[in-house]
Amino acid sequence: MAESSERDQQFALLMRATQAGDREAYAQLLHTLIPLLRRAVRRQRALLKPQDAEDLVQDILLSLHQARRSYDPDRPFLPWLMAIVRNRVTDGARRYIIRSAHEVVVDQLPETFSDADPNTIDGPYGDPEALRLAVKALPDGQRRAIELLKLREMSLKEAAAHSGISIAALKVSVHRGMTALRRTLAGRHQ
Amino acid sequence: MMDTDALIQELANSAAPVRRLPAPWARMLLWLALSAPVLAAVIWLMMPSDINPVAAIADRRFLVEEAVLLVTALTAAFAAFASIVPGYDRRILLVPLLPLAIWLASLGEGCWRNWVALGANGLTLRPDWDCLPPAILIGMLPSIAMVMMLRRGAPLLPRVSIALGALAVAALANLGLRLFHVGDASVMVLFWHLGGAAVLAGLAALAGRRVMYWRHTTSGVGPMR
Repeated sequence: MAESSERDQQFALLMRATQAGDREAYAQLLHTLIPLLRRAVRRQRALLKPQDAEDLVQDILLSLHQARRSYDPDRPFLPWLMAIVRNRVTDGARRYIIRSAHEVVVDQLPETFSDADPNTIDGPYGDPEALRLAVKALPDGQRRAIELLKLREMSLKEAAAHSGISIAALKVSVHRGMTALRRTLAGRHQ
Repeated sequence: MMDTDALIQELANSAAPVRRLPAPWARMLLWLALSAPVLAAVIWLMMPSDINPVAAIADRRFLVEEAVLLVTALTAAFAAFASIVPGYDRRILLVPLLPLAIWLASLGEGCWRNWVALGANGLTLRPDWDCLPPAILIGMLPSIAMVMMLRRGAPLLPRVSIALGALAVAALANLGLRLFHVGDASVMVLFWHLGGAAVLAGLAALAGRRVMYWRHTTSGVGPMR
């Protein structure tokens, strides 16, 4: 109890300094509040996706910023803050309901374009010979990573054990290799 | 989505010193001080010369009505200013209902007396457009002052805040109007004055979200003040 009241007084002091224009105190206050705000949002909206919860936390920060002149340092800080949190969480839920009322959930996604080309989920493979040549043209490290991870479908751990290359290096090589292949094959089609 | 740390930095960089809002009671007095001169001027201009202030003051019902209107205006203004301070006890928002109920009861009793004394004639309603211009004149400046003062706080309950502000203005305008419409039958006051106040508060509540809102929810992150 005494600890929470001490913490409240510390927040009140920082907020008083913020109202006087102390930017460092303000940044310190907001950084200290972040874990508290994340907890409060999670408690009130447990089913929210992480990025939506973070959006809500940012919304609370912006609201706190707008309302900062309404804080009276002689009154406790946390009830002031939590009133803003409740307001923004409720408003967020209201906006979510309005938004989802306009969304239609479908089992099968419709075709994205009327043209046949972009809708090739079940289409035939591209030119295997071109792919083989493109893989062959890759630098050694990238080619090896592609062969192990993509063609032989090994896990990163297996590939690392097999080749003696570290997992991090394999990740980088396979990523670069895939980008290079994509570029080469796209160039061939144009 | 912007990174939260970057947002904090941006907010901290844009944080100029702000003037703290005074306590709700102090803002209520400030609003009254801004509104009172207009009210006094309109009353002074409109007061008929044949009116007898002594007789008016001796009328107990009239005095009760005026006192109740003043209390309604003050409590509604106080509640409106308290509603924009996060963490303030929400029960304060119900306080203006008490003087409002007393005003309603006093008007109801007046209607009953007129009905007993004059029968159906005591309850005739007629439009009285004469009192509309002074009502607007009295209400204009207090309305503008109220909206400007409310917008400086946190828009937690915009509809409630604006409706309470409108109630405060309507009660104050009624207080002034009754001073030069002394002879009105209770039913006229009940319908036009109380009805007018209710319509004004209702319309204000509908417009609440357009007048008071969190700026970043409609206009993006910046500009921040």
